[in-house]
Amino acid sequence: MRHKMFGGIHPAARKESTRRKALARMEKEPEWVILPLDQGGGGTAKALVRPGDRVLVGQPVAREEGGGVPIHASVSGRVAAVEDQPHPWGGQYPAVVLQNDGRSTLYDALPGPLALDTVTRAELIERVRESGIVDMGGSGQPMWNRLEGAVGRADTLIIDAMECEPYLSADHRLMLDKGRAVMQTVRALTRTLGPERAVMVISGDKLNAVEAMERRLAMQEKGRVELRTMAARYPLDSEKQIVQAVTGREVPPGGEPADVNCLVVNVATVYAIGQCLLKGLPLVRRAVTVSGGAVSRPRNLWVPIGTPFHDLLKACDGLKEPAAQTLMGGPLRGIPQGDLNAPVLKTTDALVCLAEWELPKPVPETVCIRCGKCVASCPMHLTPVLLYQAARKKDWNRLPALHPQDCIQCGCCTAVCPARIPLSLLVRTLQKHLPEGGESA
Amino acid sequence: MNQTVRVPRRVDPMLRLGGSTRGMMADVLVALTPNLLMSVFLFGFRVLVLTAVSVAACVGAEFLCRRFMGKEQTVGDLSACVTGVLLAMCLPSTAPCWAPVIGGVFAIVVVKQFYGGLGRNFMNPALTGRMLLCAFPMMMTNWAPALQGLSIQETADAVSTATPLSYLQLGLLPPLDHGQMLLGQHGGSFGEVSVFMILLGGGYLMMRRVISPRIPLSFVGTVALLTFLFPAAEVSRVDWMTAQLCSGGLMLGAFFMAADCATSPVTPRGQSMFGAGCGILTVLLRYFGSYPDGVGWAILTMNCMVWLLDKGGLPRRFGTRRMDGLRLSLERTLGSLSEIKLVRPSRRREEGELPGESIVGQLGPWVKSALALGGTVLVMGMLSFAVHRFTDLPIAQQADREQQALLAQVMPQATLGAETPYRDPRAVSIGAGYRETELMGYYVEVQTSGFGGMITMVVGVDLNGEVTGVAVLDHKETASTGARALEGAFLDQFTGRSGTLRITGNGNTIQAVSGATMTSRAITAGVNRALAVVADLEMSDPEKDDLNYTDGEA
Repeated sequence: MRHKMFGGIHPAARKESTRRKALARMEKEPEWVILPLDQGGGGTAKALVRPGDRVLVGQPVAREEGGGVPIHASVSGRVAAVEDQPHPWGGQYPAVVLQNDGRSTLYDALPGPLALDTVTRAELIERVRESGIVDMGGSGQPMWNRLEGAVGRADTLIIDAMECEPYLSADHRLMLDKGRAVMQTVRALTRTLGPERAVMVISGDKLNAVEAMERRLAMQEKGRVELRTMAARYPLDSEKQIVQAVTGREVPPGGEPADVNCLVVNVATVYAIGQCLLKGLPLVRRAVTVSGGAVSRPRNLWVPIGTPFHDLLKACDGLKEPAAQTLMGGPLRGIPQGDLNAPVLKTTDALVCLAEWELPKPVPETVCIRCGKCVASCPMHLTPVLLYQAARKKDWNRLPALHPQDCIQCGCCTAVCPARIPLSLLVRTLQKHLPEGGESA
Repeated sequence: MNQTVRVPRRVDPMLRLGGSTRGMMADVLVALTPNLLMSVFLFGFRVLVLTAVSVAACVGAEFLCRRFMGKEQTVGDLSACVTGVLLAMCLPSTAPCWAPVIGGVFAIVVVKQFYGGLGRNFMNPALTGRMLLCAFPMMMTNWAPALQGLSIQETADAVSTATPLSYLQLGLLPPLDHGQMLLGQHGGSFGEVSVFMILLGGGYLMMRRVISPRIPLSFVGTVALLTFLFPAAEVSRVDWMTAQLCSGGLMLGAFFMAADCATSPVTPRGQSMFGAGCGILTVLLRYFGSYPDGVGWAILTMNCMVWLLDKGGLPRRFGTRRMDGLRLSLERTLGSLSEIKLVRPSRRREEGELPGESIVGQLGPWVKSALALGGTVLVMGMLSFAVHRFTDLPIAQQADREQQALLAQVMPQATLGAETPYRDPRAVSIGAGYRETELMGYYVEVQTSGFGGMITMVVGVDLNGEVTGVAVLDHKETASTGARALEGAFLDQFTGRSGTLRITGNGNTIQAVSGATMTSRAITAGVNRALAVVADLEMSDPEKDDLNYTDGEA
């Protein structure tokens, strides 16, 4: 039985400029690396080092605390400071600043490799926890938590390789360039967690990745991994939508995939788990797409976590024209960047610098004509137009019946609105007006 | 753990799909073009004049209205153009040029701008403007036949032709083949006849995603289903259904008016319900209404229900089961029902309070509202009595005077006439004449065939079976000859006669008026019939045999 996501949009992919460029290291590694203690998963780690300490690649610089994850030095060198630094989410936030010595010396106390064929479930989860791996697909929550929550509950493991936001191609390149490790890890996850079904979902615009994965699958005997290709419809990369599309189950309001016996792991996360098992290396590097019409030489980079954005741009020969908008992430869910000294986080999948001509025309907002396109496009079955009307009348009593708290911020409603009403921002602000004591988000 | 949850600063998506409001309206205009060209072919260039006047009226009204209201100008969004074209298309090609002006100004100013402009109006402006013009029924049903080359000036003098709907209303199939029905080669509003061109435009709109297919498809589908299930007698189901689908404003209404986004629901389920509701109302109005086409009224009625359909059609919340929403609303209803409390005495009495005093206190407001209600009813009753007193009474008095005059003619000895419960197939009605309370006789209204047509007359017969008088109420005899047999001299001959009367032969004869033998004969026949009716009345005693009663013992 085939299932479908409800709604969604089909934006132009704009991936041509980077999809054929293999993952590459930067020619010149960054001089400074900034490791914010809040990596975006909701918790803050506690710094273990003091200014002046020498650190090596993979050495812990902060330990987990209050929902945060351990953070490891991504370059070898000297701790320059533990101080407030620009954060990609805006504002300043405490971070460990490292001065790179350029030698990339590995930490000598790294744990040894674990054989993928024999690793046990407990070992795997413990290793993921030590390695500071987060859900790199978006939420940024600690991955070990997810894996443990799935034990004994999840009957379906979904490997999310949809990557359907425009410009992004980092996951695509991971499957092509590191396909062997990715598929090995998928097999290891399947074996240890023991779901009834493991599905790898790849969007239809990455057929060469599908082919690559299929080849690995055939070579490595019978992994019980099912490969599925789906039309690249946004936001199929969102975990609730991919669960719906694969299994037909809907994650209940306020819940997560584990509530409907699913575990969703993003390809980048899979590769990070593979690194920590095969090499004992914690999460210190990740693939980042640097793209957008303003970038001189768009490419996919394999960079240390904490690399400041201006260094990424430097590695791409800078900007060929002024960037009208710089985003961490794609144009639909991206977070605008004011200060390019902000660093790459564990969840940063792309840096997109949009040129003036790529932005939507600054057409003034007109009145709503109730066309209902936002309703038809909302994958969460919301009615943005009715929320908009309630907001215009300040009719907050109407809100609980319309559940604005279910919004996943995919931005489809704004993208399709012919009246150019910023609906998705509006829905977010309306969450504040929900009456107290109602259902929480 | 004393930390604030950080939320990233966000902007709205840096990506837009699809067009603008103006683009959508332009698409609608494009979709209407083939239909307009077809109607030029069918009805001549006059339709272009009407369309141009209509568009000019709508755009002008919009421009002036926004200007006078001091709001920013919205003529550029092309919505007024769409309204103008649609309004014109609903008119017969013979309509005078002032018709779209009235309709257009009403549509734009009252229906649209008074409610806040585009998107806030709750009724389709073009359709409302058209329905306003139904105040001129002659003009709105003056259909020119297709392909007759109506000249530009020609208006009300054109020959009106029957539309397919007028056949359908009689339960007949229009005498047209499928090709004529599809291309619109028949009378009707010039933009409504060409089903093929409308479907072409509707398909374009759906392809461009300007309208969702839910409303038109559920609308047309419902009409198709209902007409298929309930065809007229002795007509093939499929032919009846096809004729119903291709006639009247159904297609134009379904694709261009019901699907107008501002006045239809936004939720998918609401849209399907909206379309189905339009379909049901259309079929009901076509089958049982006196106005030939129900499409317009159906759409306007459903327009008023959009808020309800939006509420009822809310999508199921993501991650909840199918029936959860229903269960929740049921629980809520039960909860509010349980909160209704009837007047209940408080258990504890205040110090010095009489038992039941609190009830009286609670009853106070009830009594007050009951009094107010009673007062209103009383005032309204008196008012309607007064109106009755001053209008109905004189009418009744007049009727009474006429009755008295008739009675004096046919039964002079009676003072009071009254209806009787007797019925006889030979008589129109049978009345009884009384003096005080004593029954004097009966007067019978009969009809008889005269020379020129039916003669209606009243014959008085006393209890002895003798004629007391004859009066003619209505006739169609020739004034010069036949009418002489209706004058007093001839009619007086009957007074005091009984039995069966004859014009010729021996005994019990009546002297016919020369030159009016036929009329004399007819009158005599009527008198004989009345005498026979009364004779039968005497014989059948109503006490024993109530066959002649229709109202029982009344």
